[in-house]
Amino acid sequence: MSYDYHEPHSLDDALALLTRFGDDGHLMAGGTATVLLMRQGLLRPAHVVSLRTIDGLSGIARTPQGGLRIGAMATHRAVERSDAARGYSPALVDAFASVATVRIRNQATVGGNLAHADPAQDPPPMLAALNATITVRSPRGERTEAVETLAVDHFTTSLSHDEVITSVLLPPILPGTREVYLKFLPQTADDYATVSVAATLRFADDATVADVRIVLGAVGPTTIRAKRVEDALRGARPTPERIRDAAALVRDEVDPLDDLRGSADYKREMARVWTERALAALTR
Amino acid sequence: MTGVAEATTSILREPEYRIEGRDKVTGAARFAADIVRPGMLHAAYVTSPFPHARVVSVDLTRARAMPGVRAVLTGAETKPQRLGRRLQDWPLLAWDRVLFIGDRVAVVAADTVEIAAAAAAAVDVEYEELPAILDPEAALAPEAPVLHPDAAGYAYLGGGTRPTVPHPNVQGHGIREHGDVDAGFAASHRVYEHTFTVARTHQSYLEPRASLVWLEGDRIRVVTTNKAPFALRQHLSVSLGIPESRIVVDAGHIGGDFGGKGLSIDEFVLYHLARVTGRPVRAVTRYADELQATNTRHAARIILRTGVDPDGRILAHTSRVIFDGGAYAAGKPVATLMPGDAMLTLAGYRVPAARVEAMAVYTNQVPAGHSRAPGQPQNAFAAESHMDLIARDLGIDAFALRERNVVRPGDVDVTGQPWHGTDGAALLAKLRSASRYDDRTANIRSVGAKGIGVGIALGVRHVGRGRASMVLRVTASGHVELHTGVSDQGGGAHTVFQRIVASELGVPLEQVAVIRGTTDAVPNDPGVGGSRVTPVQGSAALAAARALKKRLGDRELEEVGALEVIGEAAQETHEASMYAYALVAEVDPDTCKVRIRQATLVADVGTVINPVALRGQLEGGFVFGLGQAVMEDLRVEDGRVVTANLGDYKIPTIADVPPLTVELLTEDPGPGPFGAKSAGELANPAVGAAVANAVHAACGVRVMSLPVTAEKIWRESRRSGS
Repeated sequence: MSYDYHEPHSLDDALALLTRFGDDGHLMAGGTATVLLMRQGLLRPAHVVSLRTIDGLSGIARTPQGGLRIGAMATHRAVERSDAARGYSPALVDAFASVATVRIRNQATVGGNLAHADPAQDPPPMLAALNATITVRSPRGERTEAVETLAVDHFTTSLSHDEVITSVLLPPILPGTREVYLKFLPQTADDYATVSVAATLRFADDATVADVRIVLGAVGPTTIRAKRVEDALRGARPTPERIRDAAALVRDEVDPLDDLRGSADYKREMARVWTERALAALTR
Repeated sequence: MTGVAEATTSILREPEYRIEGRDKVTGAARFAADIVRPGMLHAAYVTSPFPHARVVSVDLTRARAMPGVRAVLTGAETKPQRLGRRLQDWPLLAWDRVLFIGDRVAVVAADTVEIAAAAAAAVDVEYEELPAILDPEAALAPEAPVLHPDAAGYAYLGGGTRPTVPHPNVQGHGIREHGDVDAGFAASHRVYEHTFTVARTHQSYLEPRASLVWLEGDRIRVVTTNKAPFALRQHLSVSLGIPESRIVVDAGHIGGDFGGKGLSIDEFVLYHLARVTGRPVRAVTRYADELQATNTRHAARIILRTGVDPDGRILAHTSRVIFDGGAYAAGKPVATLMPGDAMLTLAGYRVPAARVEAMAVYTNQVPAGHSRAPGQPQNAFAAESHMDLIARDLGIDAFALRERNVVRPGDVDVTGQPWHGTDGAALLAKLRSASRYDDRTANIRSVGAKGIGVGIALGVRHVGRGRASMVLRVTASGHVELHTGVSDQGGGAHTVFQRIVASELGVPLEQVAVIRGTTDAVPNDPGVGGSRVTPVQGSAALAAARALKKRLGDRELEEVGALEVIGEAAQETHEASMYAYALVAEVDPDTCKVRIRQATLVADVGTVINPVALRGQLEGGFVFGLGQAVMEDLRVEDGRVVTANLGDYKIPTIADVPPLTVELLTEDPGPGPFGAKSAGELANPAVGAAVANAVHAACGVRVMSLPVTAEKIWRESRRSGS
């Protein structure tokens, strides 16, 4: 395994390198996923372009409007320990704190995690449930995209090779909103989820559900938005019966695979159980 | 010198400091993969992608042309040499057929690891796929292809001849009978038959195999992670046809073993590479290869049949145990060519009549070898699940059924021999009180707690056997040096020896140094394994100290000048001890995830020499057993290990470990030094059954296979509607 390693000092330099190398180049943030893929021979770039020497990509701060902006190079651990992030949403902190071990979280980055597009990762469902968007830079300028639509398949995003995620923007959370992240680990505490559920729910003044967003991890080629479950709850009073009936709809929304963390049958049923538990937690 | 008795008790009472602890914590300890030699080359292998294939051709042209490549060898150059601990059936490099995915076809020595790997990838091998036998039952079919047609020519080490087998695809086979089995069944009130299966698992030591071989004049120098260096010297000698006197094996710190480090598979070809290149050559196994191509614990299928009287007393027992031995038997050191306790199917009970049959079978799977208490996790899971099922059907409390049947000294057990060991009744009584079994079960009943249950299981392990000797030297300054061939694989062997010698001589610990020697510098040693170190090598250390005391007479150590004695010990008799668990499990009614809330272990260990290490062995044994009970599964699909990294092959992390209460039985002395017994393999085998039994008590679902996963419980509860 031999490659050239580049440490540009500005985003423009990084973009220039990516443009020059085309398909021979690969962007690296924390490297926790990239290095594993390279060691397994699944990724063989001729050039690795690191983002770690570029300043200004790792801040975490509340926005004037009450949202949260997270630099793409912020580590999971930084989010986990950030007062700004905790003040914005404890459930967001839970999702980042659920990833692997502290050694990994000290290295893995928010942007790298999204670009890796592993459907079993913890942060993407929570970010999608919170309606986060990413800012993307390329030689053509800047654009934004919803986290929910970023991944298009297993380990595949809508990003082109010369695009770099620079930050994640989370909008203000409206009053009356609750959030939760639940990760089901049937075997060991140190594992990818068998299923995970991120959800946000906002009550109207009349105790009906004004809005709800439910996003599942590890049960499809990408994170899965449970829109039918959401529709069954929006405008309704979330009684235990209604939650149970609504959660059952998730079975037809997920698309799990048989793998080491469970059969498709089991995961489908666990998606129902954990969707119900997430909704119960939000309406308790 | 202070009084011996006083020193003995005081030293053994104090928690020990590990002799090697400081070096390991500071990073000063050097492991085999840390050792380099000038001009050293690196080895990489070309391995089979097929579980069974004929090697049609091997083209080395591209690989040999690569800069930095110093040698490429194939089976054509090493044939007919094979390796193995007892039966040498594993070719150094395959020359005609490959028998599992990962079987080696060629080896490269190159200037760097990267060049070696690239050259190995550039070797072009043409294979002709053959039908693979992936299931032991299929291997036993009369018309099954014979995987080792040349078995008659294989070397069988250790004297004697290889036991005959009922089918050419059988590695080892045993059948044993005592009492009148048919009459026992005829007299039985009920007869129960159950079939259990156990997954293949890996030892999961932290340090992968590593070895370095070079030639020094007439001598072959071997640095290795093998835990039995004298045995490896013998294996090398027989395989390579070189006298043992020319081979020097150096096994230093070993980074974990759990039974897996007795098999070496690299040192043999490294010798050939060193010979043709004239340079030192090293191999460090990638962890993926550890999981795919070394020696796993045997997967097993176990059928138990037991007849009981109306009170649940065992009258007769038969069993049939089939172990998946994989492509080679090379990993098994015992004469039977089965896992050590393959035939111990209803251990710990009075069994008046039994017929036990067990076998290890060749398949085209990853080879199976030894792993902490070989054969026992499989058999203990089956036996203790079986006993629980019998108790349930008879409506007898699981504890009471065991109390009625548990073995006491003098009783005949499943081996047909009188039991020499722990009083099982005393052990169970201690478990009943230590685990608060009566309170807990009554409490669960009274509050109607659904999803919580207590499971119990007991286990038996022999105290290690063998012969060992050590040299004790007094230096001019009156210090004592114990020279041993034992490498410490993490168990604390050297600290045990130091404490034994210091206790017996009545000198401070600092006055006793333990020096590990290479095979040319110390007396022959049987190596680490089989729960041997404390009772056997520890006894040799004690014998050496006693011999020294005798030579000293009334003189002080400082007065005698340089002096040397040898201590020898042999532990030949069969002695055993017992342990038992009570485990409280909670099963989530929706997900069927199991949470162990609390565990109690009672273990008969005899005299304690290293209190901290003993606790480490028992707690570690529990966690090791827990991993294999609830999560570990070296999963194979079409002959390929699909859990080929430690991200997918899951072992417990500390967050998975429940509170554990350990109670020791120390009154009954064992055959080891000062009355010690063994502990290294005492705690792990019975955990699987304790979990399965607790799960059954908690939610009414019986899982008949290991590991006991949430999904298995879920599936079974759906099937049975419970």
